[in-house]
Amino acid sequence: MFEKKKIKSFDQSRSIKIFIKNSEKYKDLENDSRSVENLITMGSCYSYVAAAFKENSLSINIKKFNRILFFDKEKKIITVEAGMKIFELLNFTLKYNLWIPQIPGYPFISIGGAVAANVHGKSCAFYGTIKNSIKDMRIFHKLYGWLNLNLEENKDIFDLTIGGLGLTGSIISVTFKLEEINNFNFVTTIKEVKSISETIDFLETSDKKNLIYSWNTLDLSSDLKSFGKGIIFENKIDEKNSLNSYKQIKYTYKKILSPLKLWNNLTIKYFNYLFIKYQKYKKSVYRDSFSNVIFPFYNKEIYFSLFGHKGFLESQILISRTRIDEFLEEFNHKINIHKPCITLFSLKKMSGEQKYLRFEDNKICLTFDMVRNNKSTVFLNELYGLYIKYNAVPSIIKDSNLDKNTFDNCYKEADIFREKLKKFDPKRIYRSDLSDRLKI
Amino acid sequence: MKYIILGASSGLGREIAYLLAKKKNDLIIISRDERDLRAIKDDLEIQFKINITYFELDLSSFEKIQNFFNSNPNIISEIDGILMPVGMTMESDIITNNLENANQLIQSNLGSVIYFVSKFLPTFIKKNKGSIVGFGSVSAIIGREKNAVYASSKRALESFFESLIIKTLSTNLKIQFYVVGYLNTNLSYGKKLFLPKGSPKKLAKTVYKNLNRNYYKKYFPVWWIYITFILKIIPFFVIKTIYSLFFKKNEK
Repeated sequence: MFEKKKIKSFDQSRSIKIFIKNSEKYKDLENDSRSVENLITMGSCYSYVAAAFKENSLSINIKKFNRILFFDKEKKIITVEAGMKIFELLNFTLKYNLWIPQIPGYPFISIGGAVAANVHGKSCAFYGTIKNSIKDMRIFHKLYGWLNLNLEENKDIFDLTIGGLGLTGSIISVTFKLEEINNFNFVTTIKEVKSISETIDFLETSDKKNLIYSWNTLDLSSDLKSFGKGIIFENKIDEKNSLNSYKQIKYTYKKILSPLKLWNNLTIKYFNYLFIKYQKYKKSVYRDSFSNVIFPFYNKEIYFSLFGHKGFLESQILISRTRIDEFLEEFNHKINIHKPCITLFSLKKMSGEQKYLRFEDNKICLTFDMVRNNKSTVFLNELYGLYIKYNAVPSIIKDSNLDKNTFDNCYKEADIFREKLKKFDPKRIYRSDLSDRLKI
Repeated sequence: MKYIILGASSGLGREIAYLLAKKKNDLIIISRDERDLRAIKDDLEIQFKINITYFELDLSSFEKIQNFFNSNPNIISEIDGILMPVGMTMESDIITNNLENANQLIQSNLGSVIYFVSKFLPTFIKKNKGSIVGFGSVSAIIGREKNAVYASSKRALESFFESLIIKTLSTNLKIQFYVVGYLNTNLSYGKKLFLPKGSPKKLAKTVYKNLNRNYYKKYFPVWWIYITFILKIIPFFVIKTIYSLFFKKNEK
């Protein structure tokens, strides 16, 4: 029996009625998958876009598939079910001074969701995306039943599934190669920058092993030399202090409510002013907790609530170092024309090789959030032209406004992915609102 | 300590298994689904460093339970307690249910519990030690149209536990019986219910807390005690009239 439920995407852009089933047993999962024509798997449903559901279609929630199936401390290998949350995985592995370094910014994201979105986290300059930690996977597909995926077995489907938005079937378990971690605390260094150009220069020259990201403010009418003053945060694992035993962190689920919209150009200007003042007031080098560094949005959920019920728009792109200055010049120009309310603008460095739908490359990663309104939508639609012009790669799972044309032009292997997926699943059984929008 | 949990692969049984494992008890977990049991065993052993044994067993079959005890005779002497949160329902469970289905429902909801208790009770009495925990249902308070055989089995189970209490009065055995309302498990998934569902995790905590107490019957969620009281004092002809006025009328 399925429950009919109205569900919203995290960015509040989509609110639709779906059928949902919490499967708890393997047999339930098989029977539920076989009982419908189309379905998609749901983890924690924290994707900004509607990646885990589709109107009047079945979403199978796998949150009860959250067990550890295998662990070898010596070989540094763990197999977990895909409904497990990121914090649950870390709470276990960190006891053995092990982790996967590619951690998305919120603790409640599921392992399956993280794999389907090929998440990266803050360590992406050195460690790339979660793909680099995956050894093996097990999926259930309505047509094929249970499939083991790895570099030897079903290699093509393995490749399609990582970052494949759950379209190749339900990811049920994942085996990770773990990395050692020398300390659970970080040393954070704050550096003030006068512009985005200065931020990029720092990103290019700093130690890639550290977790580096920026917080830039975008003042209207500023020229490129002073465009985007802000702060760079550099988190380095505290190797000087001895390693204490890991104490499990309890994360409390927090509902994101949107009673009123407080973000606008004025409030965000004052917020940024105060935020930078506060950062300057703090020490420029301080010890920081694991949770603060790895999950920057945990306990700061109010940031999302203050967008109100209409929510927000986020765009995250990868752009090459050689083209970013030209891009930013045009970006700045468009900001001055449309005056969107940009609440956050951040940069970091990314490594990897772009393939299929995966958001990864040896490029600069630029992220910005906006209040969702007509101005922002028009501004973003115009930016899509720039994305195509400058060979930028926009993230599919962050931007609910992204259209098929931009996607096709920016993702060179979009059609290859479509063809291979169609060959694997001619009926195209696993579909979401997102995959329908981009005609995948 | 070592406990047996029937129906441990999902819902309340799974929650109880996790809580007992967390408290460092060894477990024997039993249910119909081998794959789920194996996953739970792996997880609990890796996380809590305890010993878990699992048995795939269809509790709706008398023969299979009999075979299980014949093949594992030593199990009885090892165990400190048995917890039986078993609950089998069927969409087709109405008064005209076919006999095969009715038999399965009676066997899994009532017969299996009676069988397990009868096997363990002599040893528990001999040791003057042991916990037996059963789980009834609020659906057994009054007769009903849907889940008719399930409700009958649960009402009989309650009577069986009353007999068990009387039988063990002069012993140190801990017998507990929980009358369970709607729980947030797959048994109630997608169903429109007129009262909120209770948390199986919360009930598992209550069960654990009371495991060594001389406790007889507890309602969960607690408001069911009041509803039960009211339904019990109303004469059945009044319930019949209400039913025919409100429910049967809609059917016509």
